[in-house]
Amino acid sequence: MSDALSQPMESDAGHGDDDSQVSTPLLQLKSITKRFGGLAAVDNLSFSLHKGEILGVIGPNGAGKSTMVDLIGGATTPTSGTIFYQGHNVTGLSPHQRTQRGIARTFQLTKPFTGLDVRENVMVGALFGQRRLSCSQARRAADEVLERVHLVHKATFKGDQLTIADCKRLEIARALATDPQLLLLDEVMAGLTPVEVAQAVELIRQINKSGLTVLVIEHIVGAIASVSNRVLVLHHGRKIAEDEPAQVLSDPKVIEAYLGERYAQKHTQDSASGFSTAQE
Amino acid sequence: MAKGMKAQTSPTTQAPPGPKEGREWLWSLLLGLLILGLVATVPFVGNASDLHTWTLIVMFAVLAQSWNFIGGFAGYSAFGNVVFFGIGAYATGLVLLANQPFWLGLIAGALVAGFFALLLGLSVLRLRGHYFAVATLGIAEAMREFVTVRDVGGGGGGLISLPLPSLDSYIRFFYAFLGLSLLCLLITVFLTRSRFGYALVAIRESEQAAEALGIPTYWYKVGAFVLSAMPVAVAGGLYGYWATGFDPDTVFNVGISVEMVLLTFLGGAGTILGPLLGAIAFEYISFQFQASGFTFHNTLLGLSIVIVTVFLPQGILRIIQEFGRQPAAGERRAGRFAEGVRRVRRFIAANGI
Repeated sequence: MSDALSQPMESDAGHGDDDSQVSTPLLQLKSITKRFGGLAAVDNLSFSLHKGEILGVIGPNGAGKSTMVDLIGGATTPTSGTIFYQGHNVTGLSPHQRTQRGIARTFQLTKPFTGLDVRENVMVGALFGQRRLSCSQARRAADEVLERVHLVHKATFKGDQLTIADCKRLEIARALATDPQLLLLDEVMAGLTPVEVAQAVELIRQINKSGLTVLVIEHIVGAIASVSNRVLVLHHGRKIAEDEPAQVLSDPKVIEAYLGERYAQKHTQDSASGFSTAQE
Repeated sequence: MAKGMKAQTSPTTQAPPGPKEGREWLWSLLLGLLILGLVATVPFVGNASDLHTWTLIVMFAVLAQSWNFIGGFAGYSAFGNVVFFGIGAYATGLVLLANQPFWLGLIAGALVAGFFALLLGLSVLRLRGHYFAVATLGIAEAMREFVTVRDVGGGGGGLISLPLPSLDSYIRFFYAFLGLSLLCLLITVFLTRSRFGYALVAIRESEQAAEALGIPTYWYKVGAFVLSAMPVAVAGGLYGYWATGFDPDTVFNVGISVEMVLLTFLGGAGTILGPLLGAIAFEYISFQFQASGFTFHNTLLGLSIVIVTVFLPQGILRIIQEFGRQPAAGERRAGRFAEGVRRVRRFIAANGI
């Protein structure tokens, strides 16, 4: 009886999953190109991101990772191509309109509001963003978020009194306070110690578990491989690989892009581990 | 793992005691009320000349407090806000010349200036940084030229002559300026505690981050610009009647724009009390010089600009706060003073003075 009950439920769930994947991905980029003068920072890039996923994006310096975040966040507009979010075309929307629809981002170079303390920094996200809470509600919401990212003990510090790791946490906290469905993390682990990287990975997992879809951009390949469901590799603005982490990291094209041709020829098989330590 | 981390960073065991939660706004408000209360006694304790001086001091306080909204909070260096002073003066003057009541003139001035700020803001607030400063600088000059050439006042070259207000009304002018200053103080306190104020500070600190957190930065900047225009226009209207007439060179004088900026930075831009303190300190000293026979005003202005930009980029208030804060562990107050002296010496040595 219980078998009979559980059977259709399982298939139902599977079906539902399939259905949502086929019909509307949370985020979809369709042949996005961004040129700066003659240079294509992002070149004909297409991919989809589904609800609940963690997608990692890696690539060497200048691969177009941050430009991609700017394009999705709305800080720059694409030269050509379309961005769909929850099935709607958001290509022409400004950054604040996208945030109000549930796309939040962090900045690679952290931009804390130095004149405000940490709690007020996070409050700004809750005051605006998707929820537009009142001041007193925003204060409470800020404390909750600070608790989540383990920054509550520094709530009264000014924005310029923080360590790099705390600045990155503050970036995440502010973005979370806007109550997003999609979180874009632009190199939140860059410049952190190995212990702090481990904490950040754990934090990203928790955020994802609470129902957010996450797009992680990172240099540290080992960390991103451990946290992502899927990894996308950019090189010269083009997508050169998109697969599960293990497959991507053993892909000769990817190794070549990162470490050069000769390294790729020498290390064919156990490259994934050597690769990640070399990056860290 | 997460639990282990949390225990490690538990606030009671590891974290150093952070600064106390800010009650600064409340103290600033009380102190501001106290200062304005003291200034309010001038008509009782001083003579006619004191009243004249303090009327102008309070007027400059209003100008600085208004500039603080766009320059201090939103961080946009508007260098042409005198244009609103002139617009207010002319609007009020024309209403008076049409034999309409004075208060109607003030309201008309505020509305016209607000509308002008809206139109101006919609175009120039698309610019950032220096470009914005330069664009606003041109506006006031253009307006002065326009008013002069079209002879808007009808007295030749844009001059307006107004009927003498009755003698006892000088006290009323003084209190009108003081009330305006009080209003600006209350608005400023409101700004530090409200959604609007947080948006402006976020824009000042990082416009990109502000946008990314969902703030429609453009509209908030326009709002701040309009807010900073209206009290200035009322001050202009009051000034015009108080001075029983004016010409375009007086009320569109770029020097007034510069003084708005200077007074705000001298006291502390983006703070509640800064512009008020800066205006009172600077203008009082300046009037003392004038009274003693030197025409020292412009020298003082120039010197202050140099001193403020080099030594006090964050204003008088910041220095007071620095001395008021709890010393960090192992830090002595005397040590802090010595460090300040060392810094000045280093600066002098580095610049070969």
